[in-house]
Amino acid sequence: MLIEHLILIIMWLFGIAGFILFIPRKDRRKGILAYLMFQAIIWLCDMPSFKYGLLSAPVRILPKATELTITINYIFYPVLFSIYYVHRRINSRIWSKFIYFFVWVSAITLFDSVIERYTDLLEYKFMTWYWMWIYIGFLAYVSQICCNWFFKEKAMVHMD
Amino acid sequence: MRMEWWILLSVYIVAAGILFFIPKNKIRLAAAAFLFNQVITFLIGLVVVELGLLEYPIRLFASINRASFTFEYLAFPVVCAAFSVWYPNNRRLLFQYGYYAGFSSVLTIVEVIIEKYTDLIRYIHWEWYISWITICISLFIVRLFCVWFFAKGRA
Repeated sequence: MLIEHLILIIMWLFGIAGFILFIPRKDRRKGILAYLMFQAIIWLCDMPSFKYGLLSAPVRILPKATELTITINYIFYPVLFSIYYVHRRINSRIWSKFIYFFVWVSAITLFDSVIERYTDLLEYKFMTWYWMWIYIGFLAYVSQICCNWFFKEKAMVHMD
Repeated sequence: MRMEWWILLSVYIVAAGILFFIPKNKIRLAAAAFLFNQVITFLIGLVVVELGLLEYPIRLFASINRASFTFEYLAFPVVCAAFSVWYPNNRRLLFQYGYYAGFSSVLTIVEVIIEKYTDLIRYIHWEWYISWITICISLFIVRLFCVWFFAKGRA
């Protein structure tokens, strides 16, 4: 088995286990919504990025159906974002929020660059690591704004 | 421009139009239904294409994605959001079943017509009733999710 396949399996397992282990029970709804939001936004942004050849994913699951990397977009990064989102402190100072965001984005970028360099899971073409940092930062920022909007109001039961 | 592109364009316009009609106090329900439906549909849509059951000869992002971005990312989730927002909670069970059947049937009929007369979708090892059943199941799963999500003790 290729090392790439092993990494894909690990990403799936970590994604599922990470969601169960690192999202507290009381924050489950918040976690799921953060997961859904990030997932929707990364798909939307990755479509043009892959189409215009900024990056590509040579080894991937469902290779006939899509050129995109389902494992990363569908489970791994969204779950990591979800963990990030439920654990961030809402009332802390602005710079500590920023550092938390900075560290998260940097960690994801580092992971992304490492698998780009050492495996065939990702291949940057016009992409560079600092653009990737900005890209992931953008995805996380937009997702966070959308999630904050969603949870803004206390009264959100409108199911009748 | 070919007819198929006009159809895709009109799907985007109609979808945006439907979103416009969603009442403001139910916008979160709509968003949750939209996103959750997307997660199901996007993955199943890709699996179905990978297995060669369906084909979308004319599609958006054709060079990188062989599934229908328009249907799976936007059209079906929007319909599902509308489904959830106007779900007849207080009506008889039979009426609710009819609501499911109505949505599934309309979507299936539209799909069959599109399949027959355009190159937007082509059935390979697929039948209209598989569409009907999968659409109905998706709507049901999303409904379950929304009921759980907006139940007591929310975040």
